[in-house]
Amino acid sequence: MADPKLVQDIVEALDIPGGSTQRRPVHTVGIGVTGHFVPSPIAPEYCVAEHFQPPAKPEGVPVDVRFSNGIGLVKEHDGWSDVRGMAVRFHLKDGKSTDLIAMTLSVFFAPTETTFLKFARHARPQPCKRETPWQKIKHYLKLELPLPDPYPGQTERPNEAAIAFANEHAWAQPAVVEASAIGAPVSYVRADYHAVHTFVVTGRDGQERRVRFTWAPVAGVLNTNPEETPKDKYLQKDLRDRLAGKQTERFTLMMQIGEIGDDFDDSSRQWPPHRKRVMMGTLTLEHVPDDQQAHSEKLSFNPWHLVEGIKPSGDPVLRIRKDVYEYSSNRRGGIPCPFSNVKG
Amino acid sequence: MSDDGGWLNTYVNSLPERRWFQFLSKYVVVPFWVWRDGKPKLPGGPRPSPQPSDSTQRMMNLLMPLKDPSPIGRAKAVMALAQNVDEVFAGLDNVGTVHSARFLLIEDHICMISVYDGDFSNYIRDFISTIGSVFDALMLVVEGGDKLRPCEKNVEAFIDWVRDHDLFQAPDFPVELFALQDAQIGKKPNDPPHAVESLPRSLILQLHANRNISLGGGYRGYPGYSAAQIRNKLGVGW
Repeated sequence: MADPKLVQDIVEALDIPGGSTQRRPVHTVGIGVTGHFVPSPIAPEYCVAEHFQPPAKPEGVPVDVRFSNGIGLVKEHDGWSDVRGMAVRFHLKDGKSTDLIAMTLSVFFAPTETTFLKFARHARPQPCKRETPWQKIKHYLKLELPLPDPYPGQTERPNEAAIAFANEHAWAQPAVVEASAIGAPVSYVRADYHAVHTFVVTGRDGQERRVRFTWAPVAGVLNTNPEETPKDKYLQKDLRDRLAGKQTERFTLMMQIGEIGDDFDDSSRQWPPHRKRVMMGTLTLEHVPDDQQAHSEKLSFNPWHLVEGIKPSGDPVLRIRKDVYEYSSNRRGGIPCPFSNVKG
Repeated sequence: MSDDGGWLNTYVNSLPERRWFQFLSKYVVVPFWVWRDGKPKLPGGPRPSPQPSDSTQRMMNLLMPLKDPSPIGRAKAVMALAQNVDEVFAGLDNVGTVHSARFLLIEDHICMISVYDGDFSNYIRDFISTIGSVFDALMLVVEGGDKLRPCEKNVEAFIDWVRDHDLFQAPDFPVELFALQDAQIGKKPNDPPHAVESLPRSLILQLHANRNISLGGGYRGYPGYSAAQIRNKLGVGW
């Protein structure tokens, strides 16, 4: 188990004004969806985990999915540029389950648990104001882009502090640059989601491979127009509308296979995009349950919640997320996550 | 998107789209930064890598300037290739490491765009030995080509020339540009780290040095597989 003080410090560093300790510290606003996952015909060759085996029923294994906005505010700001989350729980036989947690950012902010704490403390939202016309002209004359004007009603944001931190720490730059331009999706099902960390999967022949997973939307990726005034609430209604009646939405699960020389244990470093990719299956979203407390808010996902056939890599950030998620779940009174010592 | 910052804020936000500001940027601001912090030209082609999937489906984007860009000169370039189509097919079949190759006439250039496996120098050597006559014909219509003919007798000079005319491939991840620029001037990459706000300027200055570039290393539908592996899987005989 990780240092409990470090775990607590990380969770508390993520708490921001406008958030709540009764809710998740990040990815606070979300919506739960149910559906099913069907592995591709080739998936069993690459991973012996149960959800990648030929399914007993044609519809595959049932899943719970939670989509979320990354920012730790209780109030919805769907239209703000922000990282989005997609947490998937695969329900397996005999009451077992496994999770895959992903986000629209393709790379993490820090290589280790201690550097992440440092980043989280420095990149906290700070009061923001519009740059003056002269400041903007100075940026243009330096061939730089001015910071975007704050959104209507936005008084704090992490942009300035995160950029200042990244200017001193090159390892934070890939994530900070990507996050600063990430935008807002027109729908939760029009974004791709990256599990970021490396996992070790065991194939049918016993071969172990270092891999990274990405959910690719069948509907394609599309963001809102950043020139237009953002709407605060549209993503949850969009999902309900899309899944009304018998309508469905789908994602494919792509698995990128790492090679010797890639950063297996550092999720702040991307792998080249031309690594081999394998299509591992299709997720079909079917229904937005009425009981969002049970199917979204009380659920406790955990990236360490794995089954035989998938192991965590040595990524220290993945390691500490196990305890950080557990601590956060206990604090907000979530349904105990698989590692929790608290009785539900 | 803007909050209500008044007309001056709105006007300043629109400066990059205003003709007078674009004129100022083009003729004053960019030249000033080129003088102050100009970047050397970055080399073309894929960057060296020992990793297997980096050695398959590599991209070549060869821009060869035409001696005579008039319609007649361009027609000569078309004829140079059209009269050697059999040689191209025979060469592709025998080199064996090529996924695809095509020639384009774009403005004042004849371009060869190809996807190949393995080492760049060996790829060019293989091409010279199998379709040297095609390149000899092309070199007749390309600026600076005369001194490279016949290619078979000027192999190293021809490889250097191709490398010089192969487009720089921008990194797939934006901030990696900093490290490439540092390395090109002999500096330890990102030591000290660059300000991320300066990334647009670094890109603009690089585009001044490398006027034409490949936007990333290319997108692959079946990454990591060589032409030989695909042929073998398809059972097409070689």
